[in-house]
Amino acid sequence: MNLAIVRRSSASLTLTVARLTITEALRRRLVLAFVGITVAVVGLSAWGFYRLSHGAGPTITSGEVRLALPTAYILFMFMFSFVVALSASAIASPAISGEIESGVLHAVAARPVRRAEILLGKWLGLAALLAAYTAVVCGLEYAVVDWSSGYLAPDPVPAAAFLFGEGATLLTLVLLLSTRLPTLAAGVIGVAVFGIAWLGGVVGTLGGAFHVTALDSAAKVVAYVVPTNGLWQAAVYQLEPSSYLIRQLAAQNERGNPFLITSAPSAGYLAWAGVWFVLVLGAGVVSFGRREL
Amino acid sequence: MSLARSADHGAAPAPSASAGTAVVGGTDRASPAVHAIELRKCYRDIVALDGLSMTVRRGEVFGFLGPNGAGKTTLVKLLLGLVRPTGGEVMVLGAPAGDRETRRRIGYLPELFRYQSWLTAREVLVLHCRLMRLDRPRWRDEVDNALRTVGLADRGNDRVGTFSKGMQQRLGLGVALLGEPALVVLDEPTSALDPVGRHDVRAVIRGLRDRGTTVFLNTHLLAEAENVCDRVTVIDRGRSVASGTMAELVGAEDSVRMRVTGLAGRWWQPLERFGRWIQEPDWLLVDGIPAGQVPDLVAAVVGLGGRVEAVVPQQPSLEDRFLELLGDQ
Repeated sequence: MNLAIVRRSSASLTLTVARLTITEALRRRLVLAFVGITVAVVGLSAWGFYRLSHGAGPTITSGEVRLALPTAYILFMFMFSFVVALSASAIASPAISGEIESGVLHAVAARPVRRAEILLGKWLGLAALLAAYTAVVCGLEYAVVDWSSGYLAPDPVPAAAFLFGEGATLLTLVLLLSTRLPTLAAGVIGVAVFGIAWLGGVVGTLGGAFHVTALDSAAKVVAYVVPTNGLWQAAVYQLEPSSYLIRQLAAQNERGNPFLITSAPSAGYLAWAGVWFVLVLGAGVVSFGRREL
Repeated sequence: MSLARSADHGAAPAPSASAGTAVVGGTDRASPAVHAIELRKCYRDIVALDGLSMTVRRGEVFGFLGPNGAGKTTLVKLLLGLVRPTGGEVMVLGAPAGDRETRRRIGYLPELFRYQSWLTAREVLVLHCRLMRLDRPRWRDEVDNALRTVGLADRGNDRVGTFSKGMQQRLGLGVALLGEPALVVLDEPTSALDPVGRHDVRAVIRGLRDRGTTVFLNTHLLAEAENVCDRVTVIDRGRSVASGTMAELVGAEDSVRMRVTGLAGRWWQPLERFGRWIQEPDWLLVDGIPAGQVPDLVAAVVGLGGRVEAVVPQQPSLEDRFLELLGDQ
């Protein structure tokens, strides 16, 4: 068979599985549930930002309000980053193991489909859902905050992209775990890894602020082993206006603030995040290919 | 009674390059549908298949029988490439088991039949048409035929989640029939069906045989195998313990039960040449009667003044033979 035809056929099967994955999320009302929760939270944030920018008391200066807006904004985005990460873990953990446990995968895998096509199709479908969700969440939040308080982050699109990167990283890891572990174990481990990575970032911030080299080194190791928090910090950096950075740095009592990121991620680190993603996805393909059903 | 013990090596030509048979893209019609040689599968310390050898010929309905845990489903999974053998070899339709192109020509109803509950029955069938890479213009006919064959024509647009277990199993059978497969593997295909459903499945299996499709029927329901199978293999603890046609496996009748009145004195003495006589309430059982001797027996009884009211040849059932075989193990 012609190589081009084989590739086209393989891509077509991968897209078939991806479409099936998206259809499942839509018909099981997963998307509807997330949209409902998101609209409620975004609505609350609109009210909060409006009150913050228009209803500050007489003892609060406009400068302090300008400082509070990015802080509140980053905290809201942290909440959304948490939701994105948890969602990634929740949708990826049953993707393979759940279908093995239920038996749905047996009929599919017995067809002339490569295991790699199934896994990549699942990843593609889930990543598309995650990307759509991240885009909707970030777009809504940017628009609502801009409307209610006049504040707009300096680089909203790269920030959203890094937020998606964080979720996609966890999604890929949990999908790998799902090829070997039961659904619950894969999901719990995914969330725990996300938490550890975030905590590693906090430890690194404290280590840097108080010049504790051991903490700083440990945080760097964690950031390379699981780059979710590194990508979150990259998103935060894109959300911070320069005036905010200067003021925060000037304030000594802000030392060790885990929500203050003073430098952009290095190109080397971002390249590593890309390599990490390829390695973990490749490990997932190999692991599922060897899995006996 | 003739019974082919263990594997029937040589019952059909082995697939093979060594025999000089032309195998092109796994489509060699001369090769058996399934040919296993010393097949072994272990799950850590558990031996599921222990040197199983067997052959399934093209176009036959083949029953694969055994008690629970004998290794039946493991073999099915090996045939489809869902698991890999620990040792030995298994060829399916002339290609190594699991070969991707060969899987296009295999229909499969899993023992654990579960389909996407959020799809309609029609969508499930279309999904499998896509996965099989059938030509798109064929999909509609394939799907309609499958739904009609398994009795779900009026439920095609309903979601699978609303189906009973029996209906899901019917749908699974429909999925297995898509694309006119050369081999259909049915793993316990009637486990969730009512008597009407079982009857329908038997009709489907006979229809497949009529059009030359090989059917590999994995079951522990012996009546099911007795009804439709051309040949069977019985396995126990991962090994073949008997193999052959139903007649070879079960054997011809060798006893007859009679209801007789009017015999008196030592009547049995001249009749002992027909076999061992056992007195039962209202009946006489003659065990070990030579083939074709029943008319002579009846004539001899009448000659002694007996009135023969009923003669019932005793056919050993597959279940009797099955239990006997497992008992031997």
